[in-house]
Amino acid sequence: MSLAKRPLSLTVNDRAIGPIEVPETLMMLDFLHEHLNLTGSRVGCGQGICHACTVMLAEPDGSWREIRTCITGAQFFAGKRVRTIEGHAERDGQGNVVALTPIQQAFIEHFAFQCGYCTPGFVTAAAVLLERLKRRPIRRSEVEGIIETALAPHICRCTGYVRYYEAVRAVILATPGLVVG
Amino acid sequence: MVLPRRWRIVLLAAGLCVVIAGIPALVVFLGAFEHSVVDAAVEAPLTAKQIANLAPKGRYIAAAADCVACHTTEGGAPWAGGRPFEMPIGTLYATNITPDPETGIGGWTRAEFQRAVRDGVAKGGRHLYPAMPYVSYRQMTEEDVDAVYAYLLTRQPVRQENRRDSLPFPYVRQFMTFWNLLNLPHDVPSPVAQKSAAWNRGRYLVDALGHCGECHTPRDITMGVIPSRYLQGAVIEGVDAPDITPEGLARLGFAPNRLGDFMRSGMGPQGVMAFAMYDVVQHSTQYLTDEDAAAMATYLAGDPPPPLPAFAAADLPAGTKDNGHRLYVAVCGGCHGLAGEGTPNVAPPMTTNAALRLPQPTNLLTVLITGLPWRDFPHGARLQDMPGFTGLLTDQEIADVANYLRATWGGRVPDVTPATVRGMRPASDK
Ligand code: FES
Ligand code: FES
Repeated sequence: MSLAKRPLSLTVNDRAIGPIEVPETLMMLDFLHEHLNLTGSRVGCGQGICHACTVMLAEPDGSWREIRTCITGAQFFAGKRVRTIEGHAERDGQGNVVALTPIQQAFIEHFAFQCGYCTPGFVTAAAVLLERLKRRPIRRSEVEGIIETALAPHICRCTGYVRYYEAVRAVILATPGLVVG
Repeated sequence: MVLPRRWRIVLLAAGLCVVIAGIPALVVFLGAFEHSVVDAAVEAPLTAKQIANLAPKGRYIAAAADCVACHTTEGGAPWAGGRPFEMPIGTLYATNITPDPETGIGGWTRAEFQRAVRDGVAKGGRHLYPAMPYVSYRQMTEEDVDAVYAYLLTRQPVRQENRRDSLPFPYVRQFMTFWNLLNLPHDVPSPVAQKSAAWNRGRYLVDALGHCGECHTPRDITMGVIPSRYLQGAVIEGVDAPDITPEGLARLGFAPNRLGDFMRSGMGPQGVMAFAMYDVVQHSTQYLTDEDAAAMATYLAGDPPPPLPAFAAADLPAGTKDNGHRLYVAVCGGCHGLAGEGTPNVAPPMTTNAALRLPQPTNLLTVLITGLPWRDFPHGARLQDMPGFTGLLTDQEIADVANYLRATWGGRVPDVTPATVRGMRPASDK
């Protein structure tokens, strides 16, 4: 039996991809791993609980949302723009990382992760949150609550929660324009 | 001034009419037509020994009657009341039924408790509002009500004043005499000799204890249930409480043996208990014994049950089918299975899901738009949340996927329009 295929075109990390023929029923996580060799998004549970597989999805208005790739079909992303964990740090012409994002740097400095399996998901969640605060700054009193809500869906079996949380707070408070009043 | 004779006669006649109409109204108002089903023998108090003996049974009866769900407020002490009930004319609060002598029912006699539960008249002659389902509880046996009384008296007393309702004036309660005249059956039905013991026990569990009809039977303009449409389904808290007559359940695909399991575990081939029924499973039906769950199913599904109708998918326009299928694979199939088969302990199957077979798409759309929270289920089971797609999919996309689901696995005409979806979105997302 051969799988029904459809052509798929999308933008990943600012690079236009496709059209590539991919099975209709392929999940996005498998597409990233098997077709694009972007293996940074993790498969933890494969059923939408752990959020290790999330990537950033651009909305029509240019804002970002987090989306789980293990339970979302690749074809859903046709014509859309996504950023995977590989697309965060700054790279040179050869593709070598030259600078981490402030949030990636903060996770390292706060010793937020141990095995690192959940980290791509936490970076994604924090990046989406920072993008949101850039567009819609919040009051100082709301900072802790908003971090909790943003990180809550992510599971870290090494239990780095507090340090992830503190790292995100440090970045929010140190970045001008995210907090008002 | 002397009125012309003609006018005097008219006025006199009008006055007489008021008096003539007023006398019966006053008689009703004062409760002269009220009929108690409570036997005078309950004036004798229960002995301490009787209370101790009855209390364990009372725990079971109270669970089957789902008392705790209403008589406990979120985060509050069990049985201490306080849960608000929004009514069109104000808010009512469930009362403290712990044995605290001042704020609870510690000072209530056995007879007072019996009359509150079965007649809707509390200690001191105060009428209850039918938010307390005394119309259903009226059918409870004297012994079962005694058992609940005994169980409650052996709970931890909690001192917590009852909250006053916010109804506009205080005499509304006494007007319940009119409501009762219209809506409270005079007597309670007796067992049906031609039917099996299981069926009769099931009827008692459904009508008296479980008070299923309070939500599953539609109400008329007086807010009384409509007997001729018994269990035929109603709208409650914005979603459909399905038709649970034997024919209704057969249309949803429930066989009696499945139904009993579904009532106890809250999940099965027909899907997962959601909305208010989740709480019913959590507080009540999960505790039913094997026999009682089976009896409930025997009564509800029919004895003998009607045959399950053969299932046939409904036709779907090619465009909707293609779009719906793509969307299903994109955002549903990862958990519900690419062929709708479901994933055990993750997401229920679509192929046999009762929510897709309901006449109205309301419940399906509510779930698609706003999702469902993660939940604990009996026996240590737990289901993750179902995401709502309000921010991710357009009205057209939600309509397409709803129509695809309903036609393919519900056999329902695909009549969901983008406008229907729009109307159901939360105000923040229109
Ligand atoms: S792998 Fe996607 S949520 Fe766990
Ligand atoms: S660092 Fe190991 S799972 Fe989070």
